[in-house]
Amino acid sequence: MDSLRAYLDRFVADTLDRCTRCGRCYDACPMTPYARELDGASPPAVVEGLLPLLQGAPGSTEAVAWVKVCTQSATCIDACPEGINAMLMLRAARMGALGSLGGEAQMSSTEDPLFFRKIEAFAATQLTPDEIEQWHRASPGERSAS
Amino acid sequence: MSEKVVFWYGCNVVRHGDIIHSSIEILRAIGLEVAPVGGPSYCCGTSKDANLRAADGMAKRTVGKFNDLAIRLAEGGPPPADGTGAAASGAPAPAEPLAAAKVVTWCPSCHRHMNQFMGEYTDPQFPMSHFTQVVHAQRERLRERLVHRVERRVVLHRHFGFREVDVNPLVEDLLRLIPGLELVDSDVSVPGHMCSALVSVPAALKDVTRGVCDLAREAGADTVATVFHSCQRVLCGLEATEPFKVVNYVSLLGEAMGLSLVDEYKEWKLAGSADAVLERIGADRVEELGEAFVREQLMPELLRAPAK
Repeated sequence: MDSLRAYLDRFVADTLDRCTRCGRCYDACPMTPYARELDGASPPAVVEGLLPLLQGAPGSTEAVAWVKVCTQSATCIDACPEGINAMLMLRAARMGALGSLGGEAQMSSTEDPLFFRKIEAFAATQLTPDEIEQWHRASPGERSAS
Repeated sequence: MSEKVVFWYGCNVVRHGDIIHSSIEILRAIGLEVAPVGGPSYCCGTSKDANLRAADGMAKRTVGKFNDLAIRLAEGGPPPADGTGAAASGAPAPAEPLAAAKVVTWCPSCHRHMNQFMGEYTDPQFPMSHFTQVVHAQRERLRERLVHRVERRVVLHRHFGFREVDVNPLVEDLLRLIPGLELVDSDVSVPGHMCSALVSVPAALKDVTRGVCDLAREAGADTVATVFHSCQRVLCGLEATEPFKVVNYVSLLGEAMGLSLVDEYKEWKLAGSADAVLERIGADRVEELGEAFVREQLMPELLRAPAK
């Protein structure tokens, strides 16, 4: 079995190899107007500043701003003339900006530390104890379909 | 013998038990036997971008459980009948009848994470389709069960970001099956794969929320239909101030089937005060969860009105 990190490393190497820094992914993004740092930014320059994040190195201020407003709208994917999954590139850059790829974090995580506790709490209000036992906790061998 | 499927509803949708229960009844109505799974122990790990080790472990655990469950369910069962089941990324395309039950996804984040990440470095042995694809493929069978008129003028709240599955036309087709329901033609579509993606960009979420209100008013719609749970979560509070209802599309299908399921989360959002929320949740459930936890951790989102 592979690992997430090994898969990311392959994706990053392929992306760095193929990306021409043309900036069309940035041009296609519907979210750039929501980042003040991106006013008047050069699309190729923003992409150039993004690529180091994929390797855990610091990205430019503009690149991090772009990562922060990415909402996975996917319009960037079809825009890439090299066939790179640019949405995935932004996601990997987000991991880099969070410090997950080895470098210093350039943005803080928005993950709620109580996320799962809240999920369990809402589940307790919306599902019966038997449903929670069967649907959330039972092992596959204990399950059936109905 | 009926086809058996795993219904993977995800995590955050547990705020809306009515969506989960309606979806299960819809799958049963099209002739499937359903094994629902969800919650933290089936988390895809998509929220763990800051902790790749955790994301890796969650993905491997969840795919392993699906492999086990989907193969067990399929033992003795027939191959899937609807032809929509593209194998999850990384899984071999089956040339013969599938040896594993299909995993039917609800959440677009889970579906995307399986395709983009989990399926690429694990070994999924099951086919996977989105709920909309499975139900749409059997929509004539569903139509037979939609016998109750739902007199509503509906506008669909559409996002364009769920590139993996073009859900909007599928949902529109399903809504058009409902007797009495009038679906407003609209091509308005907003960024992100669902509203939760916009929460981290408040100005964008505000624009989208205002756009939903404008669209409904201009269309003379009495109902805004949401496709995904996070849109229902984020927008349902609009009912406090706007002249339309916010209802998930599976609830509309359920209404046409004669189901009477309540969106309690919306009732809590519309309660208006912390004490009213607690009253609507009910003393027994508040005691079970702990009143301090409910007040400190759940109440802020329940009292938060949609910004527009």
